[in-house]
Amino acid sequence: MCSRLEAVAVLEGHQDRAWTVAWNPTGTVLASSGGDKTIRLWGREGDSWVCKTVLEDSHTRTIRSVCWSPCGTYLASGSFDATTCIWDRKSGDYECSATLEGHENEVKCVAWSPSGQLIATCSRDKSVWIWEVSEDEDYECASVLSLHTQDVKHVTWHPHKEILASASYDDTIKLYREADDDWDCLATMEGHDSTVWGVCFDQSGERLASCSEDKTLKIWQEYLPGNEAGIQTQGSDPTWKCVCTLSGYHKRTVYDVKWCHQTGLIATAAGDDCIRVFQEDESSPDRRNQPQFSLTATAEQAHSQDVNCVAWNPKEPGLLASCSDDGVVKIWRYKEE
Amino acid sequence: MASKFSGVLQLTDLDDFITPSQECIKPVKVEKTAGEVGKIKIHNDGSYVQVAQTGEEVKLQKAKITLNDCLACSGCITSAEAVLITQQSQDELYRVLQQNTQAAQDGETSQEKLVVISISPQSRTSLAARYNLSSLETARKLTGFFKQLGAHYVFDTTFTRDFSLQESQREFVQRFQGNDASAPLPMLASACPGWICYAEKTHGEYVLPYISTTKSPQQVMGSLVKDHFSKQQGKPPDQIYHVTVMPCFDKKLEASREDFYSDVYRTRDVDCVITSGEVEAMLEKEGISLVDVTPADLDTMFSSTSGAELLSHSGGGSGGYLEHIFRYAARELFGQDVQSVNYKTLRNKDFKEVTLEVEGKVVLKFALAYGFRNIQNMVQKIKRGKSPYHFVEVMACPSGCLNGGGQVRIGDKEADKDLLTRAEELYSALPVRTPEENPLLESLYSEWLSGRDNEKARRMLHTSYHPVEKMTNALAIKW
Repeated sequence: MCSRLEAVAVLEGHQDRAWTVAWNPTGTVLASSGGDKTIRLWGREGDSWVCKTVLEDSHTRTIRSVCWSPCGTYLASGSFDATTCIWDRKSGDYECSATLEGHENEVKCVAWSPSGQLIATCSRDKSVWIWEVSEDEDYECASVLSLHTQDVKHVTWHPHKEILASASYDDTIKLYREADDDWDCLATMEGHDSTVWGVCFDQSGERLASCSEDKTLKIWQEYLPGNEAGIQTQGSDPTWKCVCTLSGYHKRTVYDVKWCHQTGLIATAAGDDCIRVFQEDESSPDRRNQPQFSLTATAEQAHSQDVNCVAWNPKEPGLLASCSDDGVVKIWRYKEE
Repeated sequence: MASKFSGVLQLTDLDDFITPSQECIKPVKVEKTAGEVGKIKIHNDGSYVQVAQTGEEVKLQKAKITLNDCLACSGCITSAEAVLITQQSQDELYRVLQQNTQAAQDGETSQEKLVVISISPQSRTSLAARYNLSSLETARKLTGFFKQLGAHYVFDTTFTRDFSLQESQREFVQRFQGNDASAPLPMLASACPGWICYAEKTHGEYVLPYISTTKSPQQVMGSLVKDHFSKQQGKPPDQIYHVTVMPCFDKKLEASREDFYSDVYRTRDVDCVITSGEVEAMLEKEGISLVDVTPADLDTMFSSTSGAELLSHSGGGSGGYLEHIFRYAARELFGQDVQSVNYKTLRNKDFKEVTLEVEGKVVLKFALAYGFRNIQNMVQKIKRGKSPYHFVEVMACPSGCLNGGGQVRIGDKEADKDLLTRAEELYSALPVRTPEENPLLESLYSEWLSGRDNEKARRMLHTSYHPVEKMTNALAIKW
């Protein structure tokens, strides 16, 4: 281990567990959400970080997930009250301009597609929904995918294609794309021994990192039909294969994983109160089929309770935000030594 | 067990952590006599007995959940399949046929039930596609098959769809004219039980008034068989065992509704629903292909035929509600004769729109919304007062009833797609007629119902819906 995570800011304000942190596309505002049914927006003032706004009164239960639209004008929040709210800054202040209803119960995660045209949500009702943003800013359901057999914990989009990944309590990861008038599953990844809590594409979109209750982190590689490695594929669909499993590092459930699209660093949030950063060994002989990763930094007792989420700043390499069951949001700087 | 219900019902399942048997939260009534504390012993065969202080053993009844309990509960619906298997299956039909044979052998003909089978045109088409037969051949062979097994009559629910279509047409025009504030627009089609069940369980009070009160063809056939036909035959309703063959598992739930149960005779309008796929399983059990079954003449009493050919309705494999109501309303309300109905496909193939313009102004706007995603958008629009439609033909299954969850499946995605295409071709090839052209309909209205719009016609041809209150308990608290 040759690097470290240095705490830059400790942001207190949430009155309950803090569930997610999300940077806006320009990396200037950090949104966090929590069990206190609020969204807090944090920004820089001089050298310090302060709470600029508190968004409240739109959800009746825990706000489990929050994400920004790619243009940075909208925020989407998913709640245990089974709804997803769209927040709009057009008039200056953020206002809840639309509510997406349809999930049977708790919404666990919400993700805005890179094009800004689609929103994905997932829920304890085992389904993944895809919503289309229409011209008049109406949100219509484009698909309901009930392919997982259990609670769906996380959804995330491919960095530049309209491909969606979902992770579930049924221990699998699924990928979806639009085909023949509706969305359909294009790949199912089995390998984790327990709930998959988080999933994240790398910058190329050809690799995927996943984290699980089984305390491991897995790296998956996309193999297209006719690939050199001779991995079997079906029809025109690619096969996704686990090429690396990182075990022995996390002492408890790994709740979140984020792959930095600028630096290639992978950060994890875990139930052992730690944040860890992994780096790929670029000198490894077969990076594509047998990549190697090493742990380069650990923030021991990063929080006093479970770390729920981590997020790399999209513009400032090495700046990382985290949040925890202890209700605190923290900002860290990754320092190579 | 993979669920066979339509997609809308699959979503209303509840829990991650609890197994189906524990999941059932429906309180069961326990007959308990006050007094001494008893002991309960479990025997080796798994039966529970209560031991009184005198040492006397009384076998305890197992708690049974009926389908109707499930319908009244906001808990699970999908895990109720075990209940379906005991109450609504081909095994149950075999059991009744067996009892009939036994009664005949014992010379107790009064114990024999009159067995009536009513086959939906979608099921007939699915089996025709599966066995590469024509629609008429299939109808004749299915009649032969069920009669060989011991059924007395085999009818066709296309016949009662004439009632459903005509009642829907008239109901729409009444709603449009705004005679009843409790019956708003858009009117939503009522023939799909998956959609009804979903609406009752999740959207309750604010969506139910929009749903047409007209009974589905299955349930009109139920009324016709248990009320009119039974009198003709001189049999009380409970002496008739009425089975329908349907493209859909959700139809079993529909038949089990309290609304379609007679307390007086302790009988249902439809006693048992079996799916197209279950008919295939019955043929396999008998060790015969439908191709080799000896055909029989159709029972023309309640069937739609023109002597030589089977008849159908225009407007697609889900019954043609949109098209019939559209033509009727155009004529009744605007004096327009619609030659051809032009569907405009909107965001996907299961969401289409039809409009009627008079002098450059849109006066009627109808839509087809099939499958869960389109139902969702439609319901949300109604909720926000933003629905532009006067009528929506709502069906839970993508592609509608010909693609119902109970249809024959081969198990291979491509092969099943081909099967559906073939079924759609077979179905649309049938000659059509309107309900008004059915010569028997008018005489049944007068003989059976003593006219239209009276109390009896309402009772026999219309129904009502009941919101299911959401149950909240400690188990629902999850992260």
